Amino acid sequence: MGKYLSLAGISVKNALVYRANVTGRIIFYFVFIFVFFSLWRMVYSGNEIAGYNLTQMVWYVCMTELVLFCSGAGIFGVMNHEVKSGAIAYELLRPWNYIYKQFAGTLGNMTFSASVFTLMAIVLGMIFVGPLPGFNAAAIPFIIVSFMLSITMNFFFLMSLGLLAFYFEENSPFYFIYQKLLFVFGMLIPIEFLPLWAQGILRYLPFSLITWGPAKMVVDFSFGYAIQIIPLQVIWCIAAVSLAHFVFSRGVRKLNVHGG
Amino acid sequence: MAAIKLDGLSKTYKVKVRGEGLKNTFKSLVKPEYKEVEAVKNVSFSVEEGEMLAFIGPNGAGKSTTIKMLTGILHPTSGQAEVLGFNPVKDRKKLSYQIGAVFGQKSQLSFHLPPLDSFRLLSSVYEIEKAEYEKRLARLTELLELEEFLDSPVRKLSLGQRVRCEFAASLLHGPRILFLDEPTIGLDVVVKHKIRDLIKRLNKEEGVTVFLTSHDAGDIENLCRRAIVIDHGTVAVDMSVKKMKYDYLNKKVVSLKFNAETTLEETEGVTLIKHTPYAAKFSVDTRIAAIGRVIAGLDSDNIADITIEEPPMEEIIAAIYTKK
Repeated sequence: MGKYLSLAGISVKNALVYRANVTGRIIFYFVFIFVFFSLWRMVYSGNEIAGYNLTQMVWYVCMTELVLFCSGAGIFGVMNHEVKSGAIAYELLRPWNYIYKQFAGTLGNMTFSASVFTLMAIVLGMIFVGPLPGFNAAAIPFIIVSFMLSITMNFFFLMSLGLLAFYFEENSPFYFIYQKLLFVFGMLIPIEFLPLWAQGILRYLPFSLITWGPAKMVVDFSFGYAIQIIPLQVIWCIAAVSLAHFVFSRGVRKLNVHGG
Repeated sequence: MAAIKLDGLSKTYKVKVRGEGLKNTFKSLVKPEYKEVEAVKNVSFSVEEGEMLAFIGPNGAGKSTTIKMLTGILHPTSGQAEVLGFNPVKDRKKLSYQIGAVFGQKSQLSFHLPPLDSFRLLSSVYEIEKAEYEKRLARLTELLELEEFLDSPVRKLSLGQRVRCEFAASLLHGPRILFLDEPTIGLDVVVKHKIRDLIKRLNKEEGVTVFLTSHDAGDIENLCRRAIVIDHGTVAVDMSVKKMKYDYLNKKVVSLKFNAETTLEETEGVTLIKHTPYAAKFSVDTRIAAIGRVIAGLDSDNIADITIEEPPMEEIIAAIYTKK
């Protein structure tokens, strides 16, 4: 365990070295929220849509974007590069579990992003639509747990996709499909916008549980909802970690490292 | 005890075959064809504990593939490898505490952080006790003269400085076997010497087994007693470096300076390389003409100076590569 903590420590240091590129992402985040705010302001004519009012809708997007900005999405590229370039060779020489090593190595960056973008989300939400009506401070622990599960789940799914580089010369289509599924099944709109039968399926799938799950918990909290969503997230989290293990342990046998 | 044992070790890669042209591109999309490439074929040998082995061969001969199988990075297609009694693939984690590796063309240090940060991280990854780590670091810092740049980010170091840090990183946990894959590539003479001295000392003082691949004849000559030449995935030569040097080419080069103007004739087994009125250089094929005879045949009163040399190691290696 100690070694993984040291890894996380180093990754915080590394994250601080990279702080320059955070500026770019902050601008990006602002633009996203601004575009969605403008969109929803045009769409809403004062009423609710599928149970969400304009204020909730804008906070909803602030939250789903927050998940994606903290998930260390770079992991797909890192895995892809490590496998294809053979840089993974040194990594495999060490007495650590490669999968957890990568997670620990990203924690610093995630923590850093989480603090920056949580602040961004709150500031932008306040500026564009003001405070959320009826927000209950008792919800905060549930929200934090749900976000952590979301981010972890997303990280390990992205990692699994990146590790597909062991099997395929070109694995980025999987990444694009996954990103689009996240986008349409929860990030862009809450699943309540979709027909009932689709909601019935989606509420059990990881795509919605990553985005819709924690975001709805922020804008429309109820204990009943939290108790239903968090266990599902735990199950999918375990599934994501297991999938990463499976893809890695099978794939590493196929590893080819040429030259050098 | 054998530190490293290979028994019929083989590695086959599957490589997608793509024909030229649009038609073949589509064909490979629908029904990809694979070609099997045998990178390492049925290789068997063993390395004793404390030995320094040169594992050489032309580019693409299978050297790196073999090293990567011995360190547990690549899974062999067939055959067995045993390193310090472990199966490298199955016991990769356990083995990793006991071995170190330097790949001259890859870096294991955090690019943006000072080497000291990477060292500290490695000390906790390898679970080295603090006192032990500090002792070890002090020693390596002294041997490799790292003091002045321990605190500079790796991206600001010269190649020589970086490689010295790579060595320190690989040695912190006191490995019993050191795998070196072209460790001196691109380095200047001074750094090369420093690295060679370090390797020699580790071998002498700590009994570290060294498994070295290099294209630098100097590394091989200076460090290793035994050399294995691998070519097209199989062992082509396995002999002592001394024997290789003295016997392989069966060739001596004689340089002479004369007191008076002289003309030498080529005889059987003797080939002139250079000849001026007051000097000559010729090579002797010792299988055909004994060196003693050739020297005895010279007019000793006329000789001002004589040098008899072995062909350089580089030439020997080149001869081995081209012969196969």
